[in-house]
Amino acid sequence: MSQVVTASGLGDRISSLRVSLRKLTLFLLLAILWLALTMATETFWGASNITNLFRQTALMSILAIGQTLVIITAGIDLSVGAMVGLSSVLVSLMMKAGMPIPAAVLLTLSFGFLVGLYHGIAIRRFGIPPFIITLASLSILTGLGLLITDGATISGLPKEFTGFARGAFLGVPNLFWVVVLVGIPIYVLLRHTRWGRYIFAVGSSPEAARLSGVNVDRTFYLVYALSSTLAALVGVLTASRISIGLATTGMGWELQSIAASVIGGASLFGAVGGVIGSLLGAMSLTTIANGANLLNVNPYIQQMVTGFLIVFIVYFDQSRRRSQ
Amino acid sequence: MRITAPASGGASGTPLVRLANIDKHFGGTYALRNVSLALKAGEIHAVVGENGAGKSTLIKIMVGAYARSAGELFWKGLPLRVSGPRDMLALGIYAVNQEMLLCPHLTVAENLFLGCEAGRYGLLRARDMERQAQAILDDLGFSIDSRNLLFDLSIGQRQLVAIARAAIYQSELVIFDEPTAYLSRSEADLLFTLIRRFRKEGRAIVYISHRMEEIFELADRVSVLRDGQLLSTRPIQETTPNALIAEMAARPIGDIHHKESVAIGETLLEIEGLSGPGFDNISMTVKGGEIVGLFGLVGSGRSEFVRSVFGRTSASAGTIRRGGKSVRIRRESDAIEAGMALIPESRRYEGLCLQLDVGSNISLANLPALSRFGVIDTVEEQRRARQWMSRLKVAANSEAMTVGRLSGGNQQKVVIAKWLEHGADIFIFDEPTVGVDVAAKAEIYKTIAQLLQKGAGVIIISSYLPEVYDLADSLHVFREGRQVAQFAHKQVGHDVILAKAIGA
Repeated sequence: MSQVVTASGLGDRISSLRVSLRKLTLFLLLAILWLALTMATETFWGASNITNLFRQTALMSILAIGQTLVIITAGIDLSVGAMVGLSSVLVSLMMKAGMPIPAAVLLTLSFGFLVGLYHGIAIRRFGIPPFIITLASLSILTGLGLLITDGATISGLPKEFTGFARGAFLGVPNLFWVVVLVGIPIYVLLRHTRWGRYIFAVGSSPEAARLSGVNVDRTFYLVYALSSTLAALVGVLTASRISIGLATTGMGWELQSIAASVIGGASLFGAVGGVIGSLLGAMSLTTIANGANLLNVNPYIQQMVTGFLIVFIVYFDQSRRRSQ
Repeated sequence: MRITAPASGGASGTPLVRLANIDKHFGGTYALRNVSLALKAGEIHAVVGENGAGKSTLIKIMVGAYARSAGELFWKGLPLRVSGPRDMLALGIYAVNQEMLLCPHLTVAENLFLGCEAGRYGLLRARDMERQAQAILDDLGFSIDSRNLLFDLSIGQRQLVAIARAAIYQSELVIFDEPTAYLSRSEADLLFTLIRRFRKEGRAIVYISHRMEEIFELADRVSVLRDGQLLSTRPIQETTPNALIAEMAARPIGDIHHKESVAIGETLLEIEGLSGPGFDNISMTVKGGEIVGLFGLVGSGRSEFVRSVFGRTSASAGTIRRGGKSVRIRRESDAIEAGMALIPESRRYEGLCLQLDVGSNISLANLPALSRFGVIDTVEEQRRARQWMSRLKVAANSEAMTVGRLSGGNQQKVVIAKWLEHGADIFIFDEPTVGVDVAAKAEIYKTIAQLLQKGAGVIIISSYLPEVYDLADSLHVFREGRQVAQFAHKQVGHDVILAKAIGA
């Protein structure tokens, strides 16, 4: 029996190799896509397009990271797109009312946090499934945004605010720095803290987690609060980027964030997913959109390509997992 | 859809169904060995045996859910080649299951006709079915409205619906597996009338029950199963409840495990007068180095009691003392805090996070101690996981291997390692050896012995009497939510304990 436990942990290396293999596949796919686009178009590898690509990716990446946290618990958050729209409206209205920028941003993020907490409580205490409660919020938040703006856009935002999304620091777009500021702590949370471990444990078996003394409720509150807060952050950044507050601005983004998360390797059955995968997933989606634009591909076809990509990648992943 | 049964086998003495030398094994473990049994039309045949004696396997072979490993099945004297559940149903064999396989969100009529719906041009004839279903229910004397959702019926009424399906299928052999477990007295009487009517109509009936009084009220003949073997079949007049129990329980001593003697230490846990949902006024103490066995049939309240001790449900009365001090246990984390560990029966779903690796599972209950400001010391985590793995001889490549890919016995060890890592000293095992093979069983017993040597106290719940009988230093017998007896190690024979649990 002594040979069964190898201190060197050969299996360890093999299994971590497998994980990175999947990311490598996605990374290669992305590289091929980039190379093809560079050769096919003159503009793709231009400084302005790359900067633009990173800006576009940034917003989707942050949403996807939040969505992935929820998906690891075998849940789903359909409200993030609506939250983007509403928080772009809220932050704009508060600034227009003369509130200092930091206060307006902080209040908007707090609103997101509270909505997420409400999702967690509704799921755990009232027994409403994640799909339903966040679908309801999708409707409520969109309606609320339209109601308080009467469907109109809010423009005339302060220059300091709108300048942020367009600015750069050390030659890297500010928006991308935000991704770093969000991504690294959440990566650490997931991989190196016990709360992160609990997120995976709850996604694998809530019952086993509970019997091991894990506070399952609090774990759910954490992921839904984070997801909503990050969506509110994306709403603020979107308002800065397009210089307006608009209730319908994040329409459909919830589905894109789920797509990015799943393309990046998260399993809707729970217990699988991560930050790097979410980033790669978001980058893949944005690249396809960006490339299709440059190539003058019909945007409708572009949507279909995204759909087929999801089917292909998830099928590929499933068959690989089955064969293990 | 109805396949025709082989032509009737001539002489009226031919049994409806005959099992000849049936074997069933799973890997190297025999569930049935050389079982021969003849079931006659117009006869109620009772089958008795302990949990794990092979009754369920026998039923599953008769209804085609399991393929037999060896032996022959005869239907009206002709060897049977068809074997799937649908074939057996069409042939005329129907079993009323313990777990009622009905759809709660459909109506009674829809459930009755499930799989054999009346239709025309692919459209259901719902009215016709409702009417027919009602006619059948009325005819059987069940006062159930066929338009009701199954959901809205009592458990007993649902059981009656399951039984009514036997009439729809016009089954010639009807098998009842513990049919009265959820029935009220009046519903049970209704059932008995129905069973006698089935007998009069010339059907064959197999009746499986723990309740001796029912068997002696109904059956014409009775067969005893033990450890997968059919010991005897005799007319009911030629035996008594006590004789049957003695036959079910008789077994060469020392079958399972000789417990190495460990010095019994101090009292770790005292439970006094604990009452709660499904159990009433239970008291016991657990000492270091001691195994306390809880024995009872399914539904006797032993699992409910243990769940409450571990904080799953809250007790309504009674006290729990830990090392002399009274503790309040309102949720699992309180119990874990108090040094208790529950190793649940369905370890695959309740004991482990299957998609996570071995190391993460071992550390799961102990993460607060392994982390500073929430950040896990992964080097230490992996080191300790490896340590437990080698001490308990977990057969895995490394601590990074996914738990779901381990064997049942090794998964059980990972659950135990988790609790050792957390420093628990009271281990509650709920059916520790259900569904593991013989070798894994031996490993689990060895692990339990290791726990005792470390000075831990162990509670084992089992519905397999030989297991708790051989292992437990003190054995508590549960029946209908009450503690009906307490015995020291091998103070009395199997038969006495079984009689207490059954209430004969």
